[in-house]
Order: sequence, then C-alpha cells, then structure tokens
Amino acid sequence: MSWQKIRSYTRVVALSFEMALRQNVADAFILFTIIVQPLIITILALLMLRDQGENYAIFVVIGSGMTGLWSSMLFISGNSINLERWTGTLESLVGSPTPIQVVVFGKSLANVLQSLFSMLGSYILVSLIFGFPIKILQPGLFIIAVIFTIISFVCFGLIMASLFVVNPDLQRWQNGLEFPIYILCGFLFPIAILPSWTTPLSYLLAPYWAAQALHGSSNGSMTIGDLSLALGMMAFFSFTYLALSGRLFRVMLRKARVDATLGMQ
Amino acid sequence: MNMIEINNLRRVYKATIGTLRRKTKEVVAVDDISFNVSAGELFGLLGPNGAGKTTVVKMLTTLLIPTSGTARIMGADVEKEAEKIRPKIGFIFGGERGLYWRLSAQDNLRYFASLYHVDPNVSKKRIEYLLELVGLEDRSKEKVEGYSRGMKQRLHIARALIHDPEVLFLDEPTIGLDPVGARKLREVIRNLQSEQKTILLTTHYMFEADALCQRIAVIDHGNIVALDTPEALKKLVKDLSVIEVEVFGVPEELFGRLREQPFVDNVAVENREQTQVLMVQTPRGSEAVPDLIALLDGVRIGKVTSREPTLEDAYVRLVGGET
Repeated sequence: MSWQKIRSYTRVVALSFEMALRQNVADAFILFTIIVQPLIITILALLMLRDQGENYAIFVVIGSGMTGLWSSMLFISGNSINLERWTGTLESLVGSPTPIQVVVFGKSLANVLQSLFSMLGSYILVSLIFGFPIKILQPGLFIIAVIFTIISFVCFGLIMASLFVVNPDLQRWQNGLEFPIYILCGFLFPIAILPSWTTPLSYLLAPYWAAQALHGSSNGSMTIGDLSLALGMMAFFSFTYLALSGRLFRVMLRKARVDATLGMQ
Repeated sequence: MNMIEINNLRRVYKATIGTLRRKTKEVVAVDDISFNVSAGELFGLLGPNGAGKTTVVKMLTTLLIPTSGTARIMGADVEKEAEKIRPKIGFIFGGERGLYWRLSAQDNLRYFASLYHVDPNVSKKRIEYLLELVGLEDRSKEKVEGYSRGMKQRLHIARALIHDPEVLFLDEPTIGLDPVGARKLREVIRNLQSEQKTILLTTHYMFEADALCQRIAVIDHGNIVALDTPEALKKLVKDLSVIEVEVFGVPEELFGRLREQPFVDNVAVENREQTQVLMVQTPRGSEAVPDLIALLDGVRIGKVTSREPTLEDAYVRLVGGET
C-alpha cells in the first residue's frame, strides 16, 4: 500500500470517526446505551455487592463500564452497515473508491471511545454520589490494558458489522447476545462462579481477556505474566478478527451486489 | 471515444413469494440491452416506472452485478474492475435519502471528499464552488434534516461532483420536485453539459429529456424500444395529430374500445386534479373529432383541442400508453 493511500485512508478513518461522534450525540438510543443503561447496572451491582468490601467499588465501575462498551459494540457497531443501508447512504459509500471496512473502522473507533464514557459515568456515580473510595492500584498497567481493550473491541466491531449483514438471521439474536456476554466475560462477576463447562467459551472471547486485564490492573492483583497473557490473547484475537473481517466484507459486498441488497427500496 | 459501452446487458432478480410455502420467482428487470455513450454526451434513458432504468444505472455504477452481458465505463468492466471505475464516476439516485441528515451540507461534502481522496486543500475550495453551483451556500452550515426536498436533491448533485468525475449518472434527479426546484436542477445539469461531462440521465419526464438530452433510449419492460435523437423520435409520430379531450370520469372499458377504432393509433390518459385528459393519436387530425365525441356518448366532456405531436406522444406510442 502506497503512502498516499495510507494518508487517504487515515483521513477517512478520522472523518468517519468525527461524523459518527457528531451523529451519535444526537441519538437518544445511543446515549441510553452508553450512559443510562450502564448507570442502572452500576446501581444494581452496587446494591448487590455492597457487602463485599471496598475493592468491589472499582470492580463495579470497570464492570458496568464494560457493559456499556459491549452494548455499544453489539448494537451500534453491529448495526453500522445496516444503518447506512436504512438511510440510503450505503450505496454512496460502496460506490466510492474507499473500501467500506475503512469507514466501519472509523465508526467502530468512535463507538468504542465514546463508550468509555460509560466507565466515566459509573466512576462519577460510585465515587462522587455513593462516596466509595476508588483507586487504580496499577495505573501504568491499567492504561496499557485500556489501549489493548480499545483495539480488540474496534476489531470485534468490524466482525459484528459484516457478520450481521452477511447473515441477517444472526441479527435476530442481537438482543439475546447482550447479557450472556456480560456473564461469560466476567464483567460483573468472576467467571469462577459459573459452571466449569462455560470457561472455554469465555477464553474464546476477547472481551473476557479485556475484563481480566482491566479488573486485575485496577485492583492490583495483576502480575506481569497475567497481563502478558491477557494482552497477548487480545492481540491474537484482534489480528484474527481483522483478517476474518477482510474476508467477510468481500463476501458481504459480492453477495449484496448479486442480491441487490445495498439499497432499501 | 465511448465512455459507456453496454453489450447485451441483462439483469434478473430473484423474488420470494408466499409465506408458508415460499417460492422463488425470477423477475427480468433488464433484458438484453446494448448502447454506447460517447465523451461529452448527455444521454437520456427514458421509460415508465419499473422499466429497468435504475437497474441499468446501478449496474453501470458498480452497485449491481449483471446477470449476463458486459458493461464498460472508460474501458473498465463494471463487475471485474469496479475499483478502477469508482474514482472516475459520480452518481445520484432520485429522492431525499442517501445523505447524512444530522450533518450539515458542508460536513456531508467534506466527508464524501475524503471518501473520494480529494486533497483537503482542494476540497475546501471545491465545496465552496459546489455549494454555490447548487445554490446552497447560504444554508450550508445547517443540518440537512431541515432542508426541503429540492435542496436535498441539489446537495446530492454537489456530492456526486465532489471529486470532479468524468462520467455522471443521474437517476431521476428531478423526481418529486416543485417546478421551480426542477428548473433550477435542470439548469445545473445544463451547466455540467457545457463542462463536457459525459452524463447518463434517466427520467420519465418527456420535456426534460427533450430539453436536455442529445440522444434518448426509450426503455420498456427491460428492453430498448427506440434509440435516437429527440428530433428523430418525434418523427415517429409526425404523420399523426393528437386530439386532447377533457373528460370527467371515463369507464376503463372505454379505453379498450377507443384503441380498437381504425382511426385511432394510440390512446393515453393523464389524470389532472378534477379531470382526466384523453390524448388520442390519429392520422385523421381534427376530422376525427366528431367520431371521437360519438364514441364518448354518455361521458361528460370538457374542452377538446387538436395539436401537433410532441416527444411525449412518440414515447406513448413506443411504450403503449403507459406514462
């Protein structure tokens, strides 16, 4: 790929990011998904876990923030191509010289970064309103974990967006996928309390490793070995998702051009 | 030089019918179409709703894969070389959709400029120029959701021109616009023509095709039924006159009876507010009026006039009364 192309694509990512953010702030559903719902989950988790001691406050903040991240990924990134189709802009995007995955990457990045507000909202609620002391015990490791979490979620967003278009049947399960992932990835409860047969399923999900890294570094229980494993798994899944999404986008676009489903008539 | 070359192009859709016992049915949208458009030409594709115009445009803009046949834009195949074609073409599909309504016109254009890899320094001036060209410079910072239909369609034109394409596809650009808005848009198209852009315009407005296009292909049920200059197409009906009869509620079976008359070549009907206008093409001119009035016995009749045939009458003759 030439330098000129890299510059052009970077500009597209930046503008897709900017435009997605500007459109999202005016969307009540998106604001509910990334702000209101995680706050409700924060309150529920605090009430359920208040006898567990001070460490649970940060666990709740990170965990409920991650629920916002996952819901945003599932509904906003997952629907990003379908949304373009419903508004009639998909044909203009596909008909341009920029590969659609570059656009979706920018949008997915915007969704993930804006979802970090879920964590900020939970922090404000838990710390300032409920008065729990909150301290991140391994801040350096935590920042690294956040960066890897962002990358893995953005890549996951690419998979979701293309998968929901390639296989519309899968989209019918969209609502049903929200809470099982909260549980399987240990956002709010350690997966050790789940039946042992679910553990391999958790290991196959990048959000599980993100939750491990964020929870572990925030409560100070993370060794360099644990962090390396979690980051390595996130990097592995990110590459896998990226490679797989390239193939899925090609299949999706070919199928849409054959089936005449780029536009909604 | 031919900018657009189409040979035996065909497109078949699969439609599913039934709920419990679902069956797949094949619908031929475009059936064996061939034509070329040369550089700088404004070529019209004229036809009734559902004739296959939009399907042709979608295949030419690389958004649909042809079932068979070939289509080339500037020598590149629409199926296999879509990446080569996309930077060189611009397209719009009639209607309000296809823009980001929560963004301003300026932001929409800025975004599409990036998608077409227009240098940021160039795109700034280009956006200003295009907003002025389509008359949106005063409201360019407002969100598109507040625009009228005409403004949205003019913004579509600006979007399609953001990368200064060599070939433009305009699919029913004036559909649903008020007369003033449609006239403004036609002026924009005329200006583009003077810039030597190659334009393929689809429309079902005869006067629009007549006023803008150098050549017109009339398409009906997926086939080209005539292809010529507007003047040559008008000659198809030069031996006929058109008698227009204003009527108030004509029973359906009367159209059939009129068509069977030996002095009637074709009949079309146009619905106006309270009335219908029967447009009867006849080689007998105004001499046919008494026979016609006799046939309309029992129907309340208004004004009766006789006139020279237009491109619309040629079109009616070609597509059999569907307007």
